[in-house]
Amino acid sequence: MIIKVILIAAILVVFFWFLSNRSSLQVHAWQKIGVLLLSVIGIIVVISPEISNRMAHHLGVSRGADLLLYLLTLAFLFMTLNLYLKDKEERRRTVILARKVALLEAQLSKKND
Amino acid sequence: MDKNICVLIPVYNEGEVIRQVLSDVLKEYSNVICIDDGSRDNSQSEIKKTNAKLIVHPINLGQGAALQTGIDYALQDPKVEFFATFDADGQHELKDIKKLLDTLKSKKLDIALGSRFLGRAENMPWSKKVTLKMAIQFSNRTTGLKLTDTYNGMRVFNRKFAENLNIQGYDFTHAAEIIEKIALGNYKYAEVPVTIRYTEYSKSKGMPILNAINLGLDTLLNRISK
Repeated sequence: MIIKVILIAAILVVFFWFLSNRSSLQVHAWQKIGVLLLSVIGIIVVISPEISNRMAHHLGVSRGADLLLYLLTLAFLFMTLNLYLKDKEERRRTVILARKVALLEAQLSKKND
Repeated sequence: MDKNICVLIPVYNEGEVIRQVLSDVLKEYSNVICIDDGSRDNSQSEIKKTNAKLIVHPINLGQGAALQTGIDYALQDPKVEFFATFDADGQHELKDIKKLLDTLKSKKLDIALGSRFLGRAENMPWSKKVTLKMAIQFSNRTTGLKLTDTYNGMRVFNRKFAENLNIQGYDFTHAAEIIEKIALGNYKYAEVPVTIRYTEYSKSKGMPILNAINLGLDTLLNRISK
């Protein structure tokens, strides 16, 4: 019982923190919806684990715990890809910025010559 | 001395040899731009002792980015009509720049590419040869151009090509990108035999074989995502 309280509290904390955190990079609306959905599903599964078992049987998976593992794996892969793309975009921006700094500096030193 | 040609030399940790390389190049060409790509050794102070123009990347970005920075800077000078790229590690021969430039002018090309396989590759390690040959095969298949050497740092191109280049691959993938630009833009090109001298120093600096795998994958991914 205690574990249920801890898990639900944790899900709620992450959910509200995610929605209220405006200082981080732009969070798209669909990402918010995704987090909302995940939180709701998480809470339902914590309250009544039998639901995950039933859902698993529906999808041809023998146990609810297995289904959760599969979904977690998918979520992990998706997150990795997302981070990779974000990293690539950050790098592109850094390159533009650094090249601009280099060119400006070179122009300044040319004027001083 | 040709005032209308600018020699671009990307530099990354080449303090040991860069001054010698520059003093040779500056004997023939007055407009020489070194782009220091965030070196951590004494490259910058060595370049400052010469008459070459120094541009400094505040952090290491990769050779492709360094070349593009150099091109952007050189384009600001309307007198520059031709752009040569030259490696900083001393493996290119100075006289080859003129050879490429003469070919570019006489054949009215947009870009002349150096080829060590049409010319000479002295002391080339066999592992390097195998990787390069594979990379060249790969590039020829993907771009449809038939080249004998694709990862050669020695090139001479005209202003039109420089203005349209805009390299996006910041590391070594820029070589493949340049070839792709030639193919897509229908630029007039030719390969010119050049000599590459592998010294112990340049061998230690060259592109590691594992990088070739990265390079292939990146080029492939870039093509797919376009």
